[in-house]
Amino acid sequence: MWRLASRGAPYFEQPRTIVDHVGNGKGNGKHETRDALILLPRVAKLLPRGANVTCFRPLRGQQRYDAANYLTAVGMLPHQNVLPPFVAGLETKRKDLVEYVVAIREPFTHPAYVPIAEWPEGRVYQVPR
Amino acid sequence: MMFAVAIVLLTLVGLVARRVPYVREMELPAQIAISFAAGLLLTATLMFLWSLLGIEWTRLSLGIPLLILIALGWTKGATAKGTGWIGIAFFVLLTTYGALTARETCADLLYFWGPKGAHFHQAGKIDVDFLKFPHYYLMHPDYPPLLPEIYAWGTLAARKLSFWGALGLTPLFLLATVLAFRGIAARKIGEVMAGRFAILLAAVLAYGYAIGMVAGAADPPLVFFEVIALAALTFAEDREGWIVAALGIAGAMFLKVEGLTFAVVLLAAFVVTRRKILPAILAAAPGAILLGVWIAFAKHHEFLDSYRSNNKPFHPEQVGTVLRLTVREASYNFFYFPWVASLAPLPFGRNRKHALLPLLTGLGVIAYTIYFYLHAPDPAWWIASSAERVLLTALACFVVASAAASD
Repeated sequence: MWRLASRGAPYFEQPRTIVDHVGNGKGNGKHETRDALILLPRVAKLLPRGANVTCFRPLRGQQRYDAANYLTAVGMLPHQNVLPPFVAGLETKRKDLVEYVVAIREPFTHPAYVPIAEWPEGRVYQVPR
Repeated sequence: MMFAVAIVLLTLVGLVARRVPYVREMELPAQIAISFAAGLLLTATLMFLWSLLGIEWTRLSLGIPLLILIALGWTKGATAKGTGWIGIAFFVLLTTYGALTARETCADLLYFWGPKGAHFHQAGKIDVDFLKFPHYYLMHPDYPPLLPEIYAWGTLAARKLSFWGALGLTPLFLLATVLAFRGIAARKIGEVMAGRFAILLAAVLAYGYAIGMVAGAADPPLVFFEVIALAALTFAEDREGWIVAALGIAGAMFLKVEGLTFAVVLLAAFVVTRRKILPAILAAAPGAILLGVWIAFAKHHEFLDSYRSNNKPFHPEQVGTVLRLTVREASYNFFYFPWVASLAPLPFGRNRKHALLPLLTGLGVIAYTIYFYLHAPDPAWWIASSAERVLLTALACFVVASAAASD
């Protein structure tokens, strides 16, 4: 019981996400996928079926391999093709860039992308074609 | 809600297990628990078979054969209720609280068990293209498909994968594990003793689940199948006991890679302690066939990975690090409490020879866990993220050993 209690208050409210009390790794701090779990159900309604999309928490405004959020997006966007983050890299040719980027929490500053939706937990970007 | 209900209703499919007199004569809660295990295994096997035959998973294509199985299972059985209910209920409720307030969530649910389930449902089959996609390699393409298939079944019923539903199954797996163990053990050690050890098993596993954070992952159903197999081989004496063991072994082997090594260790311990080979072969056969077909399927579609020989190089130089870190994680944050609790009754038992099979199996589980960890050049993260979960099997073995010694 003490171990369950040590995972933080509130104790008798329905948590917003399934990782609210498990923190990062061993129960300390916010879990790295919490923002994605809140954001992705909204994003799923926005994106067309079959769209190519990637998901990550940007580092200094750019893509990085963020396995936790990327793999979470694979599960939460089953109607879209979720690709790894490098498909939104600065070195990627414009024609090869993934059409949509779900940027968790931090802004994504790739010059080819424009934001099309924004929430506190993150933004959706698109390459205008 | 519908997601979890649809999965729990697979118990009706597994009622066909009550055609086995050994199961039908158990106390009623154990019959239901073993029917749940059988329902999961039969449904996963059917879904795999449909994938092999190119039949799309729909409510109709799966529903009709499952309804036939439900009809076949309609038979009367024993009605005894068993003992130890208050203690068992306490630990199951504690796990329910932990799981449903997101205090025991395993990230593997988000990273691969859930995504596989969602995509298998989307494809209406085991999605080979998804498993072969190189950038989904971290999702372990050739892990056995039982759990993703069951999640796909729940998704088919609810029209959407429910992470909360997956978490909600965790206390049900705990309850089913304990009830199955109690019913199998009661035939040998009596209802009262079986009830006491069922409370101990519930306490040890509930504690391990809370510390190891297993909700939504494959560990609770794996322990469920493993406990059924181990308890049946430990306590059953007639031929029908092997059928129940075969169910547990097949479920474990079709659920996780560790299920295969558990089966090998369990059956080797059985042959050594009981000096009988035929029952071990019979108990292993269905699981070996099922897993063999899965491995052939993975090989044919070129996504075989974990089951390849020489998959990862051996790192004997890491033995010191592996032992030190595994021993540290095995403390379960409280002075090795679950180990002490599970083994404490053993010296007081009158029939310690009877405990040899589960005891050897538990030691074998610890040995292969360390052996697995010796296949990583830097095993620290792997051990920290998994040891508390994979050692749950050894803890369960030791509770079964203590119960067997009390005979």
